[in-house]
Amino acid sequence: MPPKRKAQAALDDDDFDEVEEEALSDQDTFDKLKQALDPVAMGKRARANHAVDAASFLFKKCDQWDAALKPDHANRPLWVDDAGHIILESFSPIFDEAQDFLINIAEPQSRVSRIHEYTLTPHSLFAAVSVGHSSQEIIDKLERYSKTTLSPSVLVFIEKSTSSFGKAKIVLKKNMYFIESDDASVLQRLLRDPVIASCRADADAGLIQEAAPKLGQMAIPGTKMAGINQPTQAAAPPVEPRPSDMIAALRVDEDEEDVAQVHSFRIEDQERNQVIKRCQDIGLPLTEEYDFNNDFTNTNLDIDLNAHTQIRYYQEKALSKMFSNSRARSGIIVLPCGAGKTLVGITAACGVKKSIMVLCTSAMSVVQWRNEFLKWSNIKPEDIAVFTSESKNLFPRGAGIIISTYTMITSTKNRSHDSAQVMKFIQDREWGLLIADEVHVVPAAMFKKVTYSIKSHAKLGLTATLLREDDKIEDLNFLIGPKLYEANWQELSEQGHIAKVQCAEVWCQMTPEFYAEWLKPSSVQKRALLSIMNPRKFQACQFLIDYHERRGDKIIVFSDNVYALEKYAKKLQKVYIYGGTTQTERLRILENFQHNADVNTIFLSKIGDTSLDLPEATCLIQISSHYGSRRQEAQRLGRILRAKRRNDEGFNAFFYSLVSKDTDEMFYSSKRQAFLVDQGYAFKVITRLEGLEQRPDLAFSTPQDRRELLMDVLLAKDADADEEKIAGDMFGSKFASTGSRAKRKNVARRTAGTLSELSGGQDMAYIEYSKSRNKELKKKGMKNDFLRKLTKVPKK
Amino acid sequence: MVKAVKGVLVKCDASIKAMLVDIDEKNGHEFIIDELDEEHILVKETKVAELKQRLQNMMKERLKEPESSDSE
Repeated sequence: MPPKRKAQAALDDDDFDEVEEEALSDQDTFDKLKQALDPVAMGKRARANHAVDAASFLFKKCDQWDAALKPDHANRPLWVDDAGHIILESFSPIFDEAQDFLINIAEPQSRVSRIHEYTLTPHSLFAAVSVGHSSQEIIDKLERYSKTTLSPSVLVFIEKSTSSFGKAKIVLKKNMYFIESDDASVLQRLLRDPVIASCRADADAGLIQEAAPKLGQMAIPGTKMAGINQPTQAAAPPVEPRPSDMIAALRVDEDEEDVAQVHSFRIEDQERNQVIKRCQDIGLPLTEEYDFNNDFTNTNLDIDLNAHTQIRYYQEKALSKMFSNSRARSGIIVLPCGAGKTLVGITAACGVKKSIMVLCTSAMSVVQWRNEFLKWSNIKPEDIAVFTSESKNLFPRGAGIIISTYTMITSTKNRSHDSAQVMKFIQDREWGLLIADEVHVVPAAMFKKVTYSIKSHAKLGLTATLLREDDKIEDLNFLIGPKLYEANWQELSEQGHIAKVQCAEVWCQMTPEFYAEWLKPSSVQKRALLSIMNPRKFQACQFLIDYHERRGDKIIVFSDNVYALEKYAKKLQKVYIYGGTTQTERLRILENFQHNADVNTIFLSKIGDTSLDLPEATCLIQISSHYGSRRQEAQRLGRILRAKRRNDEGFNAFFYSLVSKDTDEMFYSSKRQAFLVDQGYAFKVITRLEGLEQRPDLAFSTPQDRRELLMDVLLAKDADADEEKIAGDMFGSKFASTGSRAKRKNVARRTAGTLSELSGGQDMAYIEYSKSRNKELKKKGMKNDFLRKLTKVPKK
Repeated sequence: MVKAVKGVLVKCDASIKAMLVDIDEKNGHEFIIDELDEEHILVKETKVAELKQRLQNMMKERLKEPESSDSE
């Protein structure tokens, strides 16, 4: 994972040539499209003959020095520059209004407390058009909010993007593909293209005409319109204005039609990909929509939200974008971790009411998704099938839900008979909706494979962090759909939907002996390990754990490095989970963490980064932060955002990142924070922990202990070259897949054996042999289970 | 006869001290008179400027600077 490149680099037009990875067949057309509509490139062209002044060299990206302010500029909240960046003043009185508008037409880049930054991209404008904004409307509104007159290049950009995008749709109706448009001339233009014309199925007939489906009819389950009383303003407001907008837009565009009508022609099913590709090539990309209400061939699934289930306003907003004009639109919904992504997925499933396929990243989250489905909806347990390496079952009736992992679906290895049959079952049928959880982790090529093996009408991607350190995130726009909605983290935490978090970066001095070793030329992994195992950091970690345990917090400690994880956990007598931990042991540990008052701290390796639902956790300590993955940082923060106690008065969750001073960690840590800072989080820097020195039971307090630890660290690496290699692998691996787990398991076992032998059989050996807390839990846990039952029964 | 060497007391972070010691070792111990504790060392007065220079070079070489802002 190259950490050096920022996501914004995706906007740099020079970068497109570098899209090297796996050549997606239609990648080039996509790139062409991107290039043609790139605002930065357009800005550059415009700038070439722009007047310059003495300070121009400071504003190479965009120089607006000669743009005249409007006389009443103080009342307008926006600055729009030539390159399509929009700066919004969040202290403006009409901030809310402007934000609602901008979120529709532009992508949020950074939302810190006083100033928000957005960027206009072709995709965001595409999304705007697809929810019913016309280009004229977008320009008018932008002009109204902007402090300066919009520059011609921005106007051209908006017009060009909106006019080419979203004019025509591809619709699956009665299992036939139709190309549909409000504007007959668009279809005529398409049909003049020889490639598309040859793909047409109803060649002799004219265009099919029907009245447009009424907009805003879709009642999202769990809202007032669906018959549930909800105190806040329900579905209506975000949806209502659209019909009139739409009609108004049509009036502007074409005078000859008074009533909204749609025209369509049918294309051959097997030519679908060809047509989509061709349309993109000629600059009229197709939107994909699913008219599930009129789909009579696929069996309906009996699923509804439970009567008591209510969805929150932002979930509703997100869904209303997906379901506007009562069809399901493919796209991605971005919500912070803990803000109820799963419920959005389930509600979408209840809306579509067809066979649903859910894909997640790990077997653990498969179980969690299944439980959530049972919890929030009235689906029958036998209708939810699970397809993982451990269990392979099918649903008995014509429609149902299958939950699986990306790796299971895309595996190319020889399958067992059972799973081959399930795969065939999956491939052979038509799916109403494909829900892709944690969609940002999936490599484009893998997702491509998924879409080939699962024929779904609509796709919904869910993620908290739509970013990657490589530039592949753009591909998702193309494979799934545009970003439909992105929530504002700070707003949600202010309203109590996610926890308020105090972020802190704790700088720990390296001890001289460790630093001397760190300075010596050695492998990257070894240096990383040295900075993780820094005794001062260890002490800081110990101190923080103690401090927060006494406050009654539940603590998660994250470490990328399994060696360090074990060392820390064993020394501090805490439970830990890593890739090699068996499923049963994991569940037992998690159970204990949730309910056992004696187990307040849990050490997690990378496997805990995503999809682990631990609503009890209120404090998070990150001891190793190598490699500047912004996504990982945000995902980890997400573990505490869902804290159950978040609504308590004055409650704060804590996020500590322990960094060894004067090492690479400082550099990485500043990189990693970038995303959270953009979401409006502020990191406090703590250089000294008050009262740390006074503690009598501090680990590694004598130079003797420290030297022993150092020896241990050095030996561990030198003696076991294997471990080093795998550790490197693990950093590189994109996500905790089931495949790599087996590999890790072996290695970890071997390490434990060799370490104790090589560390001289003295102090460290003593620690090694002392039971890990994990094993203690085994007995205790069971006893505890029993006791809990005993204590619970009388209460009820 | 007592031989006196003029020295400068250097107070620094433990990590910087490790760097200074490292420089000293690589150059035949001609900088440091005595290592007092984790954060203090005594350095020959005549060599202070050179040591500073070497330390700066070393830091530039070994440490990645945290990113400031992306000015293009």
